[in-house]
Amino acid sequence: MRNCRPFMDTIIAYYRKIELFFGNLKFAVVIITAFTICLGYGTFMESYHGTEYANRLVYKSLIFMGIQFCMFLSIFFATLIRLPPKKHLYGFYVIHAGLLTLFAGSFITYQSGIDGTLTLAPNQPNRKIQLSDDEFKIQFPSKGKEVSVDLPFVSWPKDLNVEYEGIKLKTFLPFAKNEMNWTPVKIQDESQTSSQYRIFNDNFGEFISLSLHPKSDFNNTLQLGPLNVHYMPSNLSACFIANTPDGIIIWNGETTECISPLPDAIKKKKHNNGKILAEVNFLGTKILFMPEMSPLPLDKKFELNEKSPFRVFSKKLFEKNPHLFLFGKHVAFFNKNTLVWEGQPIEVNQEVALPWMGFKVKLLEHRLDAYPTMTPTYVKPIQENSEIIEGNMKALEVELEGQTFWVTSAEPIAYNLNDERIRFEIGKKLLTLPYELVLDQFKMDTDPGTTTPASFESYITLFKGNKGSTKHHVFMNNPLKHENFTFYQASYFQTQSGPYGSVLSVNFDPGRPWKYLGSLLLVLGSIWHYFLRRRHLAKPGAKNG
Amino acid sequence: MVKLTTILILLFSFSAFAQMNFCTNELETFPTRSGGRIKPLYVLATDTIKFISGETKVDELSATEAFCKLSLKAFGMPLELPIKVRVDHVEVKKLLGIKDSDHSIPVNDALAKLDVLETELAKQKENNSFKKEMTKVKQRLDAYRAIIDARLWTVPAPKGNDVEFISLGEFLTETKIASAREKSDNPVNFLFAEAKEHFVKVKGDDYLLELRYFKLNLFLWAMLATILSLGLFVALKNKWPGTIFTILTIAVQVTAVIMRVMISGRGPVTNMYETVMFSGLGALVIACIISLIRKEIAFVIAGLCYNVLSLMMMKFANGMLDEGISPLVPVLRDNFWLSTHVTTVILSYAALSLSWLIANGLMIRDRFFKVSPAEYRYGVDLIYTCIKCGVILLATGIILGGVWADYSWGRFWGWDPKETWSLIVLLVYIAILHGKSTSWIPPHRFVPLVAGAFMTVMMAWFGVNYILASGLHSYGFSEGGAIFLGSFFAIQIAVLILGTAKRKTA
Repeated sequence: MRNCRPFMDTIIAYYRKIELFFGNLKFAVVIITAFTICLGYGTFMESYHGTEYANRLVYKSLIFMGIQFCMFLSIFFATLIRLPPKKHLYGFYVIHAGLLTLFAGSFITYQSGIDGTLTLAPNQPNRKIQLSDDEFKIQFPSKGKEVSVDLPFVSWPKDLNVEYEGIKLKTFLPFAKNEMNWTPVKIQDESQTSSQYRIFNDNFGEFISLSLHPKSDFNNTLQLGPLNVHYMPSNLSACFIANTPDGIIIWNGETTECISPLPDAIKKKKHNNGKILAEVNFLGTKILFMPEMSPLPLDKKFELNEKSPFRVFSKKLFEKNPHLFLFGKHVAFFNKNTLVWEGQPIEVNQEVALPWMGFKVKLLEHRLDAYPTMTPTYVKPIQENSEIIEGNMKALEVELEGQTFWVTSAEPIAYNLNDERIRFEIGKKLLTLPYELVLDQFKMDTDPGTTTPASFESYITLFKGNKGSTKHHVFMNNPLKHENFTFYQASYFQTQSGPYGSVLSVNFDPGRPWKYLGSLLLVLGSIWHYFLRRRHLAKPGAKNG
Repeated sequence: MVKLTTILILLFSFSAFAQMNFCTNELETFPTRSGGRIKPLYVLATDTIKFISGETKVDELSATEAFCKLSLKAFGMPLELPIKVRVDHVEVKKLLGIKDSDHSIPVNDALAKLDVLETELAKQKENNSFKKEMTKVKQRLDAYRAIIDARLWTVPAPKGNDVEFISLGEFLTETKIASAREKSDNPVNFLFAEAKEHFVKVKGDDYLLELRYFKLNLFLWAMLATILSLGLFVALKNKWPGTIFTILTIAVQVTAVIMRVMISGRGPVTNMYETVMFSGLGALVIACIISLIRKEIAFVIAGLCYNVLSLMMMKFANGMLDEGISPLVPVLRDNFWLSTHVTTVILSYAALSLSWLIANGLMIRDRFFKVSPAEYRYGVDLIYTCIKCGVILLATGIILGGVWADYSWGRFWGWDPKETWSLIVLLVYIAILHGKSTSWIPPHRFVPLVAGAFMTVMMAWFGVNYILASGLHSYGFSEGGAIFLGSFFAIQIAVLILGTAKRKTA
């Protein structure tokens, strides 16, 4: 025992040092200042990059939690070194007890609380709460199996290095945007070109990428407002520019050859069904078709031949509305002013005027050796008018059978592995309630004579299995409480069929009583400390007494 | 429509209208509905004309007369009023061909350039001050067009035993005027009198309180009384005259606040204008209470100074503070929490504003006049009293906000910028109070620190709404306050540099 005393004394001496260090007022000032700076930084990050980014970067980061823990130690030891109780410090003890209780309540909420949303479409039962944490799901539909991997709550890219049955999960991007990359092709093919253009006028401008390559993430058609843009093999351009009375084009999809026959080259007669039957010679091959019926040619039995590489269509279909045909280095369109099809070659960086509202098209890039693909790239999200306008996507790099690909939160993807279909998805974690809620009616009142919402109200039926059901009315400042869960009116949405659905915020907070108690102690302690301990300096020059 | 226009042109221009002089100030009491509220026409007309032109008169005509005459344009009345559209941004002025020295453009000239404005608006992707001003000018032109199309002025029409508000265009129909002509030589006035009578019979005339509120201009009188009491405190040794005018100031402001509460039916703290209004009154009341307890008139003088600043902001900072009374967003429609959480936080800012004024005053006095160490310590003690009061109120306000958030949104704390900044304010003052007990913050550092700490209050109060503009408290977001806040920070930093320079050289 005698030998233990120096050891114990050393321990006690160290403890005293720790106690004095953390309980020191100067440490309190430093830690409060550090905490305050973090908070200020967090609010600016939230303003520029959104709530989720600020949460990941600051409020739910390890550093921030460390600072909060230091604050807890500071408060705890500051109280401890002022014991045994002194009368003039009663208020101080209550304030600090309140703060410690608040910390305890917050910790309980952090550890065991549940915070999510429940989306209710009209008359459709739901019991799944969507939580804020992200997870990566690997589904094997044929086996009825699903595996979930928690995605880290970070603000920057993170390597996961997780492997499951040969599926390697590599880099996770918590905020990403799709960026276009050119992927080289193995065999160059004139019918699989890709191009980038800019379509613009004085008020509007849009960069567009179009591709004929089957592996490209870009299509060969797109719509810009009323303008339809079509990207086609270059061989077809001559047929579009040719102005024939019928405007008929016959196209061989395999060879990409086309003809634009003159009326006397088309033999027309009436078929038994009353429709016009046309026959044309396509570079030595006889083709029969019914131009009023289908772009498919007819076989010998006068039936539509879906296997035929030939297609027949009339350019007249594209004369009513604005259609722009791009063929890589050629442009064609119908000019409504001159009533003729016009076209011309276009070189890289050259502009061609279009006959609609002063629009022009400029060729930026034309590639035969590569095709455009979309690759998720990490980006700090950008917030404008309380909406994330860039970086609102999560992505995970997956390696399977030596192939690497990205799964994004934008849409799940499917992969065929040894004749088995695997589905990959990034989504929110779900929590299943032991009861169901059904939205009977969503009501939104507006301020009189305006469209400004005045109240959102959800009429809900809660189905409790064998225990029957109950009706509830949930609206702002009037939540539904059931089995420790509280359901708050949070938002609403309009379904495709018209009626409104409701979004409820769902919360389970076991730390709530502690937070309330801590708050009460803090306020009462402050009043006690500052007001019941009044000692004021006398005014200089004032008479005493 | 052509038929109706023809009849009305005949009716108005040749006989009836010329004689009856329909657009008079008597219409000020006429009930109308706008922005979801029933209000006197005076309020709608003044707000709209002020929004469009920045003025409350058009030439020699009152806002109500001008509004009425403009509305009659929808019926083909061939009249032109010299109304101008307010434009403040230099780039927008250039775009619309306005001289740098001018701040407005004749409405017809602006309408002729509407396509130029819309084209430029469509081009702007970034939501910068240029785009915001163009949007505002467009909104002003939209408001003008709504008046001259007789859409903005709504009239209460009988609907069974109730009242239905319809636009002026729908109200003045051919049939109604023809029928009214049989009963009166002044058919339009007759129809309006009839509509108002029915409205008052069904709904009462409570809406007229708003007319009295705006006509009385009580906050202007309060500002004059405040300035007078300040002058009396400074000029006279006897404190009673100043005290009497201080009580008068409080009485006038309390009356105005009560009237506003009665009109809106809610606590007087729902937008930036009201928070400034409440903070001025709150600071003065808190100052008087502390002054009574501590028997020190300096608090009242600080309270009066702050009240003058608040009242001046309310009077002159129309670009950032909107005086209008608008319906609340759904989440704020809870009078208990609104009247407890927001008022407590604003009262805490009011108490902290007293510490800010005393600290700046002490710093400047110490810089330019002789302040004895005892006087300095006494000043520090006064500041300390205000901070204690502010900190307790702020802690209470934040906790009440947490309880309300828990009650409404399901979480006690969510790191929302508004709540985070109020916590920052609390922490900054707590750090100063803790530091005061160490060797780090002696009195000569305490005073400038307190003066500077008020910048966090301004950031929490105005900065979150005008600069950060993100988070769940979006109902409080406004435009036009960034310049004010930037100027405040610049001036405060300059005062701090000036005030602390002497200490360094001493």
